[in-house]
Amino acid sequence: MSTLAVPDQRLQGSTGESNRPSPFLRLAGRLRSTLYRSGAIIGFLLVWELVPQFVLEPSSRVFLPPLHEVLQALGKMIASGDLGTHILASLGRAAVGFTLAVLIGVPVGLVVAWFSKVGDFLNPLLEVFRNTAALALLPVFTLLLGIGEVSKVSIVVYAAFFPVLLNTILGARSVDPLLIRAAKTLGLTSYEIFAKVVLPSSVPIIFTGVRMAGTSSVLVLIAAEMIGAKAGLGFLITNSQASFLIPKMYAAILTVAILGFTVNAALVALERHFSRWARA
Amino acid sequence: MSTIEIKNLGKKFLRSGSSEDTAVTAIESLDLRIQDGEFFTLVGPSGCGKSTLLDILAGLAAPTSGEVLVDGEPVSGPSLERSVVFQQYALFPWLTAVANVEVGLESQARRGRGLDKSGRRIRANEYLRLVGLQGVEDKYPHELSGGMRQRVAIARALAHEPKVLLMDEPFAALDAQTREQLQDLLLDIWSRTRTTIVFITHGIEEAVYLGQRVAVMSSKPGRIKEIINIELDGRHSVDDIRSAPQFSDYRHRIWTLLHESAPSAGKSPVSHKSLVSPGVPA
Repeated sequence: MSTLAVPDQRLQGSTGESNRPSPFLRLAGRLRSTLYRSGAIIGFLLVWELVPQFVLEPSSRVFLPPLHEVLQALGKMIASGDLGTHILASLGRAAVGFTLAVLIGVPVGLVVAWFSKVGDFLNPLLEVFRNTAALALLPVFTLLLGIGEVSKVSIVVYAAFFPVLLNTILGARSVDPLLIRAAKTLGLTSYEIFAKVVLPSSVPIIFTGVRMAGTSSVLVLIAAEMIGAKAGLGFLITNSQASFLIPKMYAAILTVAILGFTVNAALVALERHFSRWARA
Repeated sequence: MSTIEIKNLGKKFLRSGSSEDTAVTAIESLDLRIQDGEFFTLVGPSGCGKSTLLDILAGLAAPTSGEVLVDGEPVSGPSLERSVVFQQYALFPWLTAVANVEVGLESQARRGRGLDKSGRRIRANEYLRLVGLQGVEDKYPHELSGGMRQRVAIARALAHEPKVLLMDEPFAALDAQTREQLQDLLLDIWSRTRTTIVFITHGIEEAVYLGQRVAVMSSKPGRIKEIINIELDGRHSVDDIRSAPQFSDYRHRIWTLLHESAPSAGKSPVSHKSLVSPGVPA
């Protein structure tokens, strides 16, 4: 009996400790979960660093330099201010195109949703445009608008416009009809119902469209810059490839990845902020 | 506080693209007079047109024939004079509790006959207190329980002091205990404000407990079968009026009326019987 009681007490002692973990233990726990969640990325970076060095033959190593060479190239570009110029060129175009798309897409979507006859008329055409890949139209934009800024901003507008437009229509149409009935009994006129019920209730769905538009404007812009541009991250990638500056090319690709990730994270935060009243 | 007169009211629903013959008659030649300051309950089986009737009273739907007069004025559309409390609360989820209560007050102010901003906030808080809600002014509807949401909805319906309060099965989605609390709250508010209340329910007990008069509706087409005056002595002095013998008499009478009116298995299946067993005497 007495020998059985000893481990029992120890067990109690350890559970008591886990109920009130010390700050150190809590920090360790958090560190462990962070490590676990970034494990795949760390693994990928390790493979990138080690495989070119120890597995690949020197001839193919040229086409896939290890991570540290890429980071060196990246550091050099940051130091010279080169990278900043290209990022600003790309971000500027994406921002202008994206903003224009939102400024046009939201009002047009609201009109289409509110006047259902307009919607019925325009919808087939919108479906055709939406399902045409933006990049397929790049030659058209280049022919009509040249290879300057206008054509690149235009294609971003085109790519970002449809997610915004379609989500605005969806949002405005999916308003709970009960809320409209309630608003009528509370004395709201039809314009007031639009401004105070339809619009706020569609904000979360509109913001989903805005987030999708943000992501696709960056994606399309990079591709457009690869075809004809004198600055920008897309240009940097193709230009480095053509000049056989392979680490520089990878550094540019890495920058594109980080930029896309950041833009998306920022828009997700914005979306959360504007739909915090919506049920989880 | 006002009188509602319903004269020869009828409502048909046309299926889109079909002719007059296939129209569904929801309400047929309905006459009713609801007194000033009365608590009137309507009970009926589902699909008897009671919600349609409430929509017409609210001005959310137009009748096919007949008319509704409130204080002698025909109803032509929704109005702040007639507030509605819906079963599913219908609170605006992007507004806090107190902002929801202010919606009606704001439209009143836009018509140039209301309170200023701080006056509206004071009034809204008063009505939240009236429905027993304090300390949740700045919470969003999704942070509140069903009972609390319906309290906010009642406060919102009353804050601009309408003459008539229309309630469409307002407590049907709540659990039994919350429902009883809100029934008592509603009786308390009614005895203080003396607003004319039209209350629709499918619960017989609820209708008897709340109403001064209970209208029993029959379905297909929706008609008022009978109106029963409820005279319960000491509704407030007796602890549990629901178990008083008078109460169960009323309950049973309405139950019988509802079961007569329901499309029971005995009436239409005469032909059905003869199909199953031809020649066999019933």
